[in-house]
Amino acid sequence: MFYRLSGVYHTRYQAARALWPIAADRWQVILLLALALAAPLFLSPLYLGSYLLPWMIWSAAALSLTLLMGLAGQLHFGFAAVMAIGAYSAIHMTRAGLPFELALLGGGVSAALIGTAFGFAALRVKGLYLVMATLAMQYLVDWVIINVPAISGGAQATLRTPAVSFFGLPIAGLEARYYLALGWAVLLTVFFLNVRRTSFGRALIAIRDKDFAAAVIGVDPFRYKLLAFLTASFMGGVTGALLAFCYYRAVTPEQFSFNVSIQLVAMVLVGGLGTAIGSFLGAGFVLLLPIVLTNLVAALGSAGILDVSQNLMAHLPLIIYGAMIIGFLLFEPLGLAKIYDNIRKYFLVWPFRHSRS
Amino acid sequence: MQHDPVVMPDEAHLHPDWMDGDHLIAALERNARDHPREVAMRERDHGIWHEVTWADYLTRVLELAAGLEGAGVGPGEVVLVMGDNRPQLYFAMLAAICLRAIPSPAYPDAPSSEILGQMQREGIRAAIVEDQEQVDKLMGLRDDHSDLALIAYDDPRGLGGMEDRGVVALRDLAAQGRERLANEPNLRRDLKERANVHDIAVLLHSSGTTGAPKGIPLKHGHVLAAVRNASAAGYFVQGEAHMAYLPMAWVGDFIFSIAAAVELRFVVHVPERQETAQHDLREIAPTLYFASPRAWSAMLTRIQVGIAETSGLKRALYEHFMPFAIDLERRRLEGRKPGIAARLWRGVGNALIYAPLRDQLGLRRVKRPYTAGEAIGEDVFLFFRALGLNLRQFYGQTENCALAVAQKPEDISLTSVGRPFPGVEVKIDDNGEILLKGDNNFDGYFQNAEATAETFRDGWLLTGDAGRWDDDGQLMVLGRVSEMVETARGDRFIPTYIENRLKFSPHIRDACVIGAGRDFLSAIVNIDFAAVGQWAQENGVAYASYADLSQAQPVVDLIRDEIEAVNADLPEGPRLHRFVNLHKEFDPDDGEVTRTRKLRRGVIDKNYAPIIAAIYDGRDSVDFEATITYETGQQGTMTRTLSIVTLEAGKERG
Repeated sequence: MFYRLSGVYHTRYQAARALWPIAADRWQVILLLALALAAPLFLSPLYLGSYLLPWMIWSAAALSLTLLMGLAGQLHFGFAAVMAIGAYSAIHMTRAGLPFELALLGGGVSAALIGTAFGFAALRVKGLYLVMATLAMQYLVDWVIINVPAISGGAQATLRTPAVSFFGLPIAGLEARYYLALGWAVLLTVFFLNVRRTSFGRALIAIRDKDFAAAVIGVDPFRYKLLAFLTASFMGGVTGALLAFCYYRAVTPEQFSFNVSIQLVAMVLVGGLGTAIGSFLGAGFVLLLPIVLTNLVAALGSAGILDVSQNLMAHLPLIIYGAMIIGFLLFEPLGLAKIYDNIRKYFLVWPFRHSRS
Repeated sequence: MQHDPVVMPDEAHLHPDWMDGDHLIAALERNARDHPREVAMRERDHGIWHEVTWADYLTRVLELAAGLEGAGVGPGEVVLVMGDNRPQLYFAMLAAICLRAIPSPAYPDAPSSEILGQMQREGIRAAIVEDQEQVDKLMGLRDDHSDLALIAYDDPRGLGGMEDRGVVALRDLAAQGRERLANEPNLRRDLKERANVHDIAVLLHSSGTTGAPKGIPLKHGHVLAAVRNASAAGYFVQGEAHMAYLPMAWVGDFIFSIAAAVELRFVVHVPERQETAQHDLREIAPTLYFASPRAWSAMLTRIQVGIAETSGLKRALYEHFMPFAIDLERRRLEGRKPGIAARLWRGVGNALIYAPLRDQLGLRRVKRPYTAGEAIGEDVFLFFRALGLNLRQFYGQTENCALAVAQKPEDISLTSVGRPFPGVEVKIDDNGEILLKGDNNFDGYFQNAEATAETFRDGWLLTGDAGRWDDDGQLMVLGRVSEMVETARGDRFIPTYIENRLKFSPHIRDACVIGAGRDFLSAIVNIDFAAVGQWAQENGVAYASYADLSQAQPVVDLIRDEIEAVNADLPEGPRLHRFVNLHKEFDPDDGEVTRTRKLRRGVIDKNYAPIIAAIYDGRDSVDFEATITYETGQQGTMTRTLSIVTLEAGKERG
């Protein structure tokens, strides 16, 4: 309806491969970006700090994981461990006096190195066995963090993040932390969207679809699987560090437990594998929906509309939440991104018929 | 290749007011000088648009001109141009014009015999064609026309190694020309200055439905006058985005894609292939768009098909907003201004339906959509106007550069083609024929003094079209003068004109108007089985067959109302008095219509003599013994009772 496809022509192939050749898409992106930038102006600190800020960071985490799972097709059920490595590395580096910018990079690098080491498993095993291998990573990393006091600071310890500044900007106030998280999420999004258009991205997709077929056409699975683990782990490591510095402002091993890995996988799956918008929608769904549901149920309960026992009241949001995940995946197995895509196509060919493929 | 001395007669005295230096090449040079970096042409190739600036344009034309001259093309030489729209062919036409040679475009799908006729009549020795298909066609004709010495082609695919037989690539000609330009410092300027306003810019052809096609030479002065007239009337503006997809041999393409493009600095867009024109059009979204009435009608069908298979909500919106807009547009044409509520509601419709549809068609940016060539159906015309496109008709022939009369944006009427352009005089003589005068009129057929004498009278061009002025002073075109017939009472009318107006009704598939030499006019009508069948279903009229349906009283009443509406637009004399719904459609197998569905009146008069007799006897019904030829060749008969209806005009007669 509001999409205008006429008058879109290209004089170079590069332009024909633009991310958003259609003006209406560009306007939507610009509008969303403007809203995100202006969010501190119209959102209360509660919403900004407890909803939007974590949403951005978890979206970045989902983007990292979807690069590995969606593009390269390598299942990873221990991604929280990768983030933990990044978080702990960065925090120790800043404590050791390294500048924050370098500590972020260092967190990414150490996560990338350890993550890739486990990625070697992917060279030998696929599918469920890879899931097992990555689960092993999760438990190994958890165990090491908890049991090596030099890392965790003791069994039940909480490490507070030191005061840092990012290129001269102190990362202390809520707004500064929000903009740092937003900047990282935007950077990862741009990176992810562009990876899809590079030979690297196409090689990953080839490996996802069939690794030996990719090998036949000259894509080296050894190299690209490791590169996929390396890239995704680096992104995950930096995201973990940012999660610690911008959101929790402290780290404990529980923040990166197995549950978190599962939640990340859920974000990627519910959002839609291998899509940027799916990472945002999936993270939003997994992160925000339980809060919304809890508030809704509580409001209904206190208004007297919902008259159930206190026990059920506590579990009702979880029941609805679970039902909604199942419902959405039944309705559209390709995730929220596909639902968005269908809606977009509906308006793209308006008023003619759109096809759902 | 040797060539004869210049055969072009000096006709400068015909147009003493034309300035010598005012020609297409000068206009091209002016653009290249003043706007060298502006885009002049875009050609789609493998999905992307390659741009040619005005400076490139001039250079390419001059290179080709130097190359063609080196290959022996000289002044007065007629050069065949054949192929789909390609920038190289446009450059080559202008290159020929530079050399004072005469480009003579031919339809790429014309049969060999026509091409041969054209080459023999015009003494063609050089041809510029698009690709192997055209080269092969011409090579086959060389046995009969051995003068053809040079064949230059654009697309080299499959054409290597034929240089020794006079078949060369335009690219090679351009390279030779580039070399000549580099070696001869004065050649560039010389080439730019050779053309003259009195030179023939292009040699087009009449359709040749009767006898051999006649050559119609248009001079620089003619085409420039036509373009300037149209521009003065606001018909074109400077810098239009234009889509060159119509055949190069048609006058309109030369006027739009070369003359107006060069004079008014259009950006000419050349589609990848003919088949992709529709898609490429949408990519470009031109500001100026011309399509034949048939093409507009096909577009309407595309929309209707798309809507028929879309989902309920969208269809419901379309079915509410489209009739609303059509109704609004009809009132507007009748001079009634819509109220504020209707305008607001139209705005809602624009957001929901009209603008998305314009975008779907690629007509989002079109400011000046036109049609011409034949009468456009009222429903099609209203539909696109309702869609928010300022669709207008113009009227003209090849002989007057196709630009003579056009509708103005402010006073569109459904029945007329508008008012003359500034610089064009129109009058209607005593026979009802439309006569034209103006600088856009050509000076006479190519080497055909006899035909030239027949087509001019006291300096007026005889169009052969019958017309009249409506009450508002706009020109109505009724049909060919040669088709005009008279009733016994002396009322002149053109059967096809009335038939076409009848056929604009969706319920009438065909009609034959009778009345030559008779007291009054009557019509034999073929109902449209699909449309009337649909109507019958919706209105609960039961029927078993076409014949059954055509005689059902509600259907007869429906058709009567349609004909009364047509009658209301006709002048007093030639109105339909009676009609009959035929029990079958006119069938090419029975010889009643040609394969292209043109009526064969003689056969119809003969086949339906008893019906016609009954109409003029004043009877109210007739039993008709129908002879039916089955597809197996067997014949059978069947008796049908057909009711004959007297219309208001007939009742008044008493």
